[in-house]
Amino acid sequence: MASGMSWFSHYFCFLFFLLLTSTRVACFAEDEVNLLVIVVDVNPIWWGQQAQREPEFTLSKCLDGVMVMGNSHMALTRTNKLAVIASHCQDSHFLYPSKSLGGGGGAAEDTSSSRDGKYELLAVANSAIAEEIRNVLSKTEVRGNSTDTLLAGSLAKALCYIYRVSKELDVGQEIKSRILVIKAAEDCALQYMNFMNVIFAAQKQNILIDACVLDSDSGLLQQACDITGGLYLKIPQKLALTQYLLWVFLPDSEQRSQLVLPPPAHVDYRAACFCHRNLIEIGYVCSVCLSIFCNFSPICTTCETAFKIQLPQMVKPKKKKLKMPA
Amino acid sequence: MDEEPERTKRWEGGYERTWEVLKEDESGSLKATVEDILFQSKRRRVVESHGQVRLGMMRHLYVVVDCSRSMEDQDLKPNRLAATLKLLEGFVDEYFDQNPISQVGVITTKNKRAEKLTDLAGNPKKHITALKKAVDSACVGEPSLYNALNLAVQTLKHMPGHTSREVLIILSSLTTCDPANIYDLIQTLKGLKVRVSVIGLSAEVRVCTVLTRETGGSYHVILDESHFKELLMLHVKPPPASSSSECSLIRMGFPQHAIASVSERDARPSFSMSHLDSGTGPGLTLGGYFCPQCHAKYSELPVECKVCGLTLVSAPHLARSFHHLFPMVPFLESSVEELQGSRFCEGCQGELRDKSAYVCPSCRGVFCVECDLFIHDSLHCCPCCIHSRAAL
Amino acid sequence: MKLRVQLQCKNLHEYLRELGPDVLDRLYNHPATCLAVCRELPLLAKNYVMRMLFLEQPLPQAAVALWVRKDGQRDHDECVSVLTGLRLWHSQQLQGGLQGYILNPVFKDNLRIALLGGGKVWADEGIILGPDRHARDIESLDRYAMERWEVILQFMVGSPSAVSQDLAQLLVQAGLMKSEAGEAPYITSAGFQFLLLDTASQLWYLTLQYLNTAQSRGMELVEILSFLFQLSFSTLGRDYSVEGMSESLLTFLQHLREFGLVFQRKRKSRRYYPTRLAITLAAGVSSNSPSNMTNTPGTGDAGFIVVETNYRIYAYTNSELQIALVALFSEMLYRFPNVVVAHLTRESVQQAIANGITAQQIIHFLRTRAHPVMLKQSPALPPTITDQIRLWELERDRLQFTEGVLYNQFLSQADFEVLRDRAQGLGCLVWQDASHRAMVVTPQGHSEVKKFWKRQRSHT
Repeated sequence: MASGMSWFSHYFCFLFFLLLTSTRVACFAEDEVNLLVIVVDVNPIWWGQQAQREPEFTLSKCLDGVMVMGNSHMALTRTNKLAVIASHCQDSHFLYPSKSLGGGGGAAEDTSSSRDGKYELLAVANSAIAEEIRNVLSKTEVRGNSTDTLLAGSLAKALCYIYRVSKELDVGQEIKSRILVIKAAEDCALQYMNFMNVIFAAQKQNILIDACVLDSDSGLLQQACDITGGLYLKIPQKLALTQYLLWVFLPDSEQRSQLVLPPPAHVDYRAACFCHRNLIEIGYVCSVCLSIFCNFSPICTTCETAFKIQLPQMVKPKKKKLKMPA
Repeated sequence: MDEEPERTKRWEGGYERTWEVLKEDESGSLKATVEDILFQSKRRRVVESHGQVRLGMMRHLYVVVDCSRSMEDQDLKPNRLAATLKLLEGFVDEYFDQNPISQVGVITTKNKRAEKLTDLAGNPKKHITALKKAVDSACVGEPSLYNALNLAVQTLKHMPGHTSREVLIILSSLTTCDPANIYDLIQTLKGLKVRVSVIGLSAEVRVCTVLTRETGGSYHVILDESHFKELLMLHVKPPPASSSSECSLIRMGFPQHAIASVSERDARPSFSMSHLDSGTGPGLTLGGYFCPQCHAKYSELPVECKVCGLTLVSAPHLARSFHHLFPMVPFLESSVEELQGSRFCEGCQGELRDKSAYVCPSCRGVFCVECDLFIHDSLHCCPCCIHSRAAL
Repeated sequence: MKLRVQLQCKNLHEYLRELGPDVLDRLYNHPATCLAVCRELPLLAKNYVMRMLFLEQPLPQAAVALWVRKDGQRDHDECVSVLTGLRLWHSQQLQGGLQGYILNPVFKDNLRIALLGGGKVWADEGIILGPDRHARDIESLDRYAMERWEVILQFMVGSPSAVSQDLAQLLVQAGLMKSEAGEAPYITSAGFQFLLLDTASQLWYLTLQYLNTAQSRGMELVEILSFLFQLSFSTLGRDYSVEGMSESLLTFLQHLREFGLVFQRKRKSRRYYPTRLAITLAAGVSSNSPSNMTNTPGTGDAGFIVVETNYRIYAYTNSELQIALVALFSEMLYRFPNVVVAHLTRESVQQAIANGITAQQIIHFLRTRAHPVMLKQSPALPPTITDQIRLWELERDRLQFTEGVLYNQFLSQADFEVLRDRAQGLGCLVWQDASHRAMVVTPQGHSEVKKFWKRQRSHT
């Protein structure tokens, strides 16, 4: 009770509003950098065949979609960052930020920038991407006629890049990264082991791998998305690529929990045996090198170990000395 | 590690002038040498790795945690027990990450007894919750090395011969209270090919030296908490298999994950086997992994089928271990000035700012030190090599 | 007791929503504005906009509602209200009689231009003028911007510095300074609070005030807002031409030059350089995100303060202004060439609070200017210090105010007691003093007590 109030007839109450109406509430969530790395499959053989199959959807159309996606990502929040990697059949190449721009893509005094109403930062990025892709396609010679793309290398480079960016952050900043793969050509089955290594590295770093598949389903990418918690989508209509990118892949993982998205794809976790490359449900695994075989053989073909044959009615396993090739 | 019992101790060695490593530059600053030392220590971890040695990929490991009175010491913060359990949680995670088809069990020893905290199992969650609970337990009495090892051996001796049997003891006390002659037990362990390693929290103890030497394990005493962590992580990598261990082909199932939604007509909810004994969580679920042999349902992999005993794994679990079998060759260090061509790292596209760069011996790709570490620690494959089809 | 005036800073959306629909529609005619507005939308709303950006047909409302999961319905409703409030989308009747949404066509076209190109160039670039002989690098621009901004702040704390008539007037109109006839203006309590904000918020606050008074200056609001947004999207270290700018825009440019948002070598120079202040303007826009992103190293207000649990403050700075700011709420102990040492005491903090600064603002000031070493720990400031500052503030609020009506000058003790008991029975008695025959009742109970008293009097 106030004591000094007796001779005034009206009082107004100002109850504790001071703590509630602070001008600004400290909130450091905005210090989060959101890095999106887009890996585009630019396998020239596949795209060449595609141009014959469907002349209305070509590589340049696809890259337009990628640029729209990249622009939208960079424009929507100040702290968003972008990198684009072209995955060629023998090499992968950073389209943005490119080395020649000093890596930052910031104040590049480039004469070819905004000549229209585009946001300057985006204009610089887009012209860099266009310039680099022209370089890649004109300078890289195609050896062989493999229609599969070596995605693992591009993903590995993407992870290295993300790792560097996360090291270069200021104090108090956090980074959330994800990789979006736009896949055209077939999987390269030979890459299985490297691909898996890359996926596990991504999972360890909490990096999402999303996959937008244009043509045939990719078992490797399905596993990558499932393990890292990303989204896998084989788009039903190639021409609607941009719309799918903006709808499904633009929102980050936090927002995705709010949205209704396509259901997760069925992932095939069956193993392929090393001997015939058949998918098997029950198989035999070498205890030394973990090779998978579809039926029993006395010697492992991978590590040349001779196996002890386990008979069902063995009384006691005798100690048997087997010399191993060290 | 004690290879020879009469190895000279550190305190018997010559006087080490550790401060003489630091050298001032012209301006009197130590910055350059300190940075150099930091750089060297970063690099050191990469170099040590065994080449083409046969590894025990399927491991059965018992971790013995000393819960005796001495664990209440506060030289590790907040005390030895809490710090140990915290580190073990990280260890269990990392262990299953690197050895997905292996198993772990935890044994505690206090008050002259030993008891199992968790049985050998392949599910990290169960161990971690048990470890979290154990923080509140009281530390009393003396540990018993004999009882703990005996308890571990009772289970380990039934494990198949192709797996590696291991015990890791975290010992804080300097004494042990044993009901029988421990040297007899050590001989038994040796006969059963159980490898025992010890991490001491206080000081080196003779019995542990003998124990680890006889069974082929390692013995380390921690310096501080970060050293403790480092020592624990040494046990994450699968150990080289002893040449006499058996090898065999193991029958395994690769169940498919069946996703069913409520809207489908033929979707029927069913109980998963793992819920039957734990009795927690929602019992009836729609999807799951079905054992290809007996169609028992499990919600998680890897697991050993409770009905038919088939080991159920998924292909990625096996793939996780591949990098141990095919370790990467270390990159060669060379100075940036000597390199021709681009001054950018092949991995992260960053400019090479440090004095030295690292070159992959097979594809001649140039990498910066950060990428070199990252590639060897997590990626396990060279980003350039995997682009050339020849290297596959 | 002095009434606490809180410095209220609206965010961009609150500001825009107060503008009339025709102003908004005209505003969306510029791509930069559309981009800035779009950036500040809630995350979900951004997603909606992006999803509808390339659709020409209206979408049924029911279909839009299905975009989110059931548990996210609240967020969905909020997004719908924001988008409708800002006139970013309209309801439209579909052919089947259903209600549908379609993006505001002007907004849609201009956002597309901002993202994808086409349309007119935002501003003529310096390229037309050819390379600048007196080109500025980023560093010197940063230095220039900070100098200008500090001049304004120094003017506010009363150091003699040259500030134009317009600016002084603006500060007065914003309520940050007060001037009595013929005297130099002096700082108000709102001004103290203003000083403790971080640069980005200060800038946005002042900009808002400027915009509020713009129309009275005869300026076209839409024009200068668009220019401002355009400026915030420009590239640092690049020159732009003033070609084609209207007269009022040129005046505006001169004001921006004074704020330090743009650099112009001479008043009549044909080119200008936007500074980092102009580009970070957008960072202050969303009012609840004072990020230390805004403390970009170049702007010179990177963290310099170390606070210890013994209430000592070490401020590593040479800036007179920053020292003066620290001195607002602490006691200066020592001063060295590159550091000052101050002490937080109960007296100094309460003095600051008496000046109208709140504890929250002091804490915020310390946190946003914390030295990188401090930022490494979490929380950045020692909790004992923040708690104590809050407690010192609460100490001043031991009084609790209750509104009431006083009854006194009763003729007899009996009258007083009857009325007092009645009031007590009604539960509306706040205070009573039998010896002075005075009592206070709550305003709600006042009419009841009065009625009773009238009845009572008529009885006797």
